[in-house]
Amino acid sequence: MQAVGLQTYIWNNNIRSVLLLIGFPFLLLGMVFCLTLGMIWARMLPSGYDYGGPIPYALHLMIAAAPLAIVVALVWFAIAYVFNQAIIDFATGSRPVPRTEEPDAYNLLENLCISRGLKMPTLRVIETEGMNAFASGLHEGRFSVTLTRGLLQNLDRDELEAVLAHELTHIINRDVRTMVVASIFAGVITLFCQIVYRSIVWGGVWGGGGRDRRGNVGLFLIVAMVVGAIGYFLAIVIRMTISRTREYVADAGSVELTHNPDAMISALQKVSGHTHLEAPESMRAMFLEDDDEGIMGLFATHPPVAKRIAALSQYAGGRVNELAVVPPSSPAPAQASTTTQEHGPWGGRKDEPSGPWS
Amino acid sequence: MVVGLILLAIFVLLGFMLIGAYNRLVALRQNVNAAFADIDVQLKQRQDLIPNLVETVKGYASHERGTLDEVTQARAAAASAGGVEARAQAESALTGALGKLMAVAEAYPDLKANQNFMQLQSELADLENKIAAARRYFNNATGEYNASIQRFPAVLIAGAAGFQAREFFDVGADRAALQSAPQVKFS
Repeated sequence: MQAVGLQTYIWNNNIRSVLLLIGFPFLLLGMVFCLTLGMIWARMLPSGYDYGGPIPYALHLMIAAAPLAIVVALVWFAIAYVFNQAIIDFATGSRPVPRTEEPDAYNLLENLCISRGLKMPTLRVIETEGMNAFASGLHEGRFSVTLTRGLLQNLDRDELEAVLAHELTHIINRDVRTMVVASIFAGVITLFCQIVYRSIVWGGVWGGGGRDRRGNVGLFLIVAMVVGAIGYFLAIVIRMTISRTREYVADAGSVELTHNPDAMISALQKVSGHTHLEAPESMRAMFLEDDDEGIMGLFATHPPVAKRIAALSQYAGGRVNELAVVPPSSPAPAQASTTTQEHGPWGGRKDEPSGPWS
Repeated sequence: MVVGLILLAIFVLLGFMLIGAYNRLVALRQNVNAAFADIDVQLKQRQDLIPNLVETVKGYASHERGTLDEVTQARAAAASAGGVEARAQAESALTGALGKLMAVAEAYPDLKANQNFMQLQSELADLENKIAAARRYFNNATGEYNASIQRFPAVLIAGAAGFQAREFFDVGADRAALQSAPQVKFS
């Protein structure tokens, strides 16, 4: 269905997010399937004549392993979820700001919450020049909205309200949770790639009880490398695409709350190029804006500001004021080493904060 | 047998699609209603501001009776107008009258320096901005709703289920009023 306005646009993006999330288990299954097939071709597993050829046999093996895989995945998920929660809570453990210190921002946020019947999230401020904001917290009672000092100083009231509404929409939609789930999935796939790789490197024990150790390990190695690289790439692309989709929804949701598309547009124009803020990668997705683009925008957590503004004016009826763009005063500071594309599919996992075990 | 099952499946699927379409239309219509309620709140706030404003201006510029009466009448008309289109017209007349009043006030330095008047003026300006934003949101929501009831498969049920196209809170009338509004003379 094509979007004809704000509501239909939000619905479409939500459907898209769900489909992308569903994509993760299928991606993992597909990888397992391809690897099994690769092992059969490399003669590391029996050829599976009894099952009518390699493909049905690979399917059969996959289904046989399913119950165990599901249990392992669930346990992993539970542990990783708690772990991520701890990271996020720790990273946002800064001092909450009471109404008396930032009355404007506090009241704006409270009014927005009242209009939606929400419990007020904790308002926090980071004392830094960068203009950014993020929502955090995985469940009711831990939700908070964090603003930077630079944002409070540079935005006017309407723009601040739009930003607060953007972050509040992340909370209403439970986007923090969605992104944690996505990062756990990506972590599972990363670890899976690594297990396969290690098993190959450390001497062909991958044959399953030594049924046929003389298989063509070289062929399997190539298959495994290709499958792993593609799987790793897709996992990150899916994860980042979800993140970008949630941004569009949060922009639209902000307009839905404030009824003022212009304020969201001018807020984006103001912060663009001045958003530098240090934070763990799993939280960058919740930023107001993060201009870390990566390769052709595939690995970016946020869509380009121009696209977000175009969407706001197309679906929410916003008017763009070209003069409001502030050119970056200094070259953007070098990004921390959280960019995913720096690591090859098999290496560098230890520096990657998104991994559930790291 | 197989054909029957397939037909059944198609009917069930179609049923779900129509239920989904119906629910979406309800949500979109509700969105339009909520958006109008929001404009309504802002317009009422503006109406509540006016008696105070008129009294303040009267204190300094009592012989501008014509302009003051016009504002009072426009306010009364706006308060009693029903329906989206009538409301939009009445409110745009009020906007025009208020604009004239503000232009008149320009000629009275004492009035312009009055603390109360200055506060009322800034409140009014703030409200006008909010009204403009709320109106655009409403028109956007109305446009989306009107487009949705004409799309497949919603169009199959929209008429029967009583979903009718809504009126826009028309900017056209406002624009005319604003363009004809006060000319400041320096003579």
